[in-house]
Amino acid sequence: MRRPGAVRQRRRTEVAGWLFVSPATLLFLIFIAGPFVFAIGLALFKWDLLTDPVFIGLDNFVKLFTDPILPRVLANTFVFAFASIVTHIVLGLLLAIAVNRVVNRYLSYFLRVAVFFPFLISWAAVSLLWKYVLDPTFGFVSQYAAMIGIDTPNFFTDPSWALPAIIFIDLWHTLGFTFIIMLAGLQTVSPELIEAARTDGANSWQVFWKVTLPLMSPTMFFAMIITFIGAFQVFEPIQIITKGGPQNSTTTIVMYLYEKGFQSFQMGYAAAVAILVFLIVMGVTLLQFWGRKKWVFEA
Amino acid sequence: MSIAPGVRTGLQPDLLGRVNARTHTRRLHWGDVVLSIVLIVFGVLMLAPLYWLISTSFTVGAEAFTEPPKWLPVPFTVDNFVNVFEYVPFMQQFMNSLFLAVIITVGSLTFSVLAAYGFARVSFRGSGALLVVMLSAMMVPAQLVIIPIFIMMRQLGLVDTLAALWLPALVNVFQIFFLTQYFRTIPRELDEAAKIDGAGHAWILFRMLLPLSGPALSALAILSFEASWNGYFGPLIFLSSPENMTLPLGLVVLQQGFGAAPATVVFAAITMVVAPLLIVFLIFQRQFVASVASSGLKG
Repeated sequence: MRRPGAVRQRRRTEVAGWLFVSPATLLFLIFIAGPFVFAIGLALFKWDLLTDPVFIGLDNFVKLFTDPILPRVLANTFVFAFASIVTHIVLGLLLAIAVNRVVNRYLSYFLRVAVFFPFLISWAAVSLLWKYVLDPTFGFVSQYAAMIGIDTPNFFTDPSWALPAIIFIDLWHTLGFTFIIMLAGLQTVSPELIEAARTDGANSWQVFWKVTLPLMSPTMFFAMIITFIGAFQVFEPIQIITKGGPQNSTTTIVMYLYEKGFQSFQMGYAAAVAILVFLIVMGVTLLQFWGRKKWVFEA
Repeated sequence: MSIAPGVRTGLQPDLLGRVNARTHTRRLHWGDVVLSIVLIVFGVLMLAPLYWLISTSFTVGAEAFTEPPKWLPVPFTVDNFVNVFEYVPFMQQFMNSLFLAVIITVGSLTFSVLAAYGFARVSFRGSGALLVVMLSAMMVPAQLVIIPIFIMMRQLGLVDTLAALWLPALVNVFQIFFLTQYFRTIPRELDEAAKIDGAGHAWILFRMLLPLSGPALSALAILSFEASWNGYFGPLIFLSSPENMTLPLGLVVLQQGFGAAPATVVFAAITMVVAPLLIVFLIFQRQFVASVASSGLKG
């Protein structure tokens, strides 16, 4: 039985709800939803921002898929993303397990600072610093290598070394993130289970493969998803250090997008590239969720 | 180092405050020593580039990069730091970065808190659908929406102003999602009790929910501040005058722009960006780590 005034009360709640969400919703429409729809439409136009936009249908996509450098760009991006996932997860997990075992308080503190702090530094500072660290004349890496008789390549101008160098710098910069996620994940591995396995005679190796690793698989899955999304959109170290060179050996898809959109102002074409990035990131993420049940342990 | 043979007395809380209570260590003794040494070497290598950066920035330019690599600032100078200000308006760029980070952190959190309250606590028609639409936007890569936003800012004459950067950042879908989830973990009975006592929405939100949400708010504030402070793609696209730039972009321009500065001056500028960060991090290490670990809840 409705009390009189219940309808008015109900309406007041409706209004209150919308009032609370309206500022964020308005901004969301202007700066996210609107631009998203606009970008999809924009991909059907040729527009240099100086002359009027011209409708060209799917020509931007045709041009994109027939661009002879696109396979190279996609290969660079996937190689970077794959290498990034593998190195971050393997090293991050091992490091977290190792640090978890360390009893000395100062050593544990030192390691958390040493591994995590680089993650807080801006890509700009990190890229500039490593540009010098790996420089063949300025940098201490080449200087020490020369002292023991190793002739180092010029990492950023040698086409076969530039991408691996960027992968390495990215690992130094963002390993701290994976490390912290893994440390947090290890808190969910119950010491009782490990204790029980040991009581049953399992050695460290067996404990790692049969207990720790399965229990860590949900955390590893999460780290994999996040690392892929970030790595596929890698941009800063490449724009700052190599500009995509030498010979496009480090041009990734977002670097390509930046060149087309914000250096040669082909706005429609850049929108088409951005849509491709969106579709690939979404597709691979869905694929990872689909493959989840094959290796992720669900308690 | 204090690894007492066979005894693990110093039980100290790890990352998230848990105590690792494993005790059987006698046969792992030597393994632990080796592990500790490996970890110390790893930690030192992680920090080596940063130490080299700071040391070199205090070294006289002509003597800085001589072989063998130098690990002490000899001959010592502070001229590099003084010279930074001759190449770029460093203080102005510092203020720009600070202004952006503060307005984005405060603004986005304000709107996110209001929206999250609406979604979590007020039942109104369409709230579920609206939330789903907003959350699906987390999948959209930043580059896709930044193209239309760039066109929008050109039309509005806001290119080369900080407004082009902070206006779109006032809405943060991840924050809305995170806070909505967080508010939902706070028992609703508290609201009902407060309502019976005559409390309105404002009282419930600001006097009850927010004081209970300290850890969530500080984690989101750190993440937001850090993302803005370190951001590069946005400033690179929108800002062109040195006096309007943020620190990360200013650093890159200092190294690569017209009349680029000598390496030691660039090092001094990077040091001025990294050193305060290091101090803040060492003070608030726990909060920084917790904020990153909590971003893991996203999965």
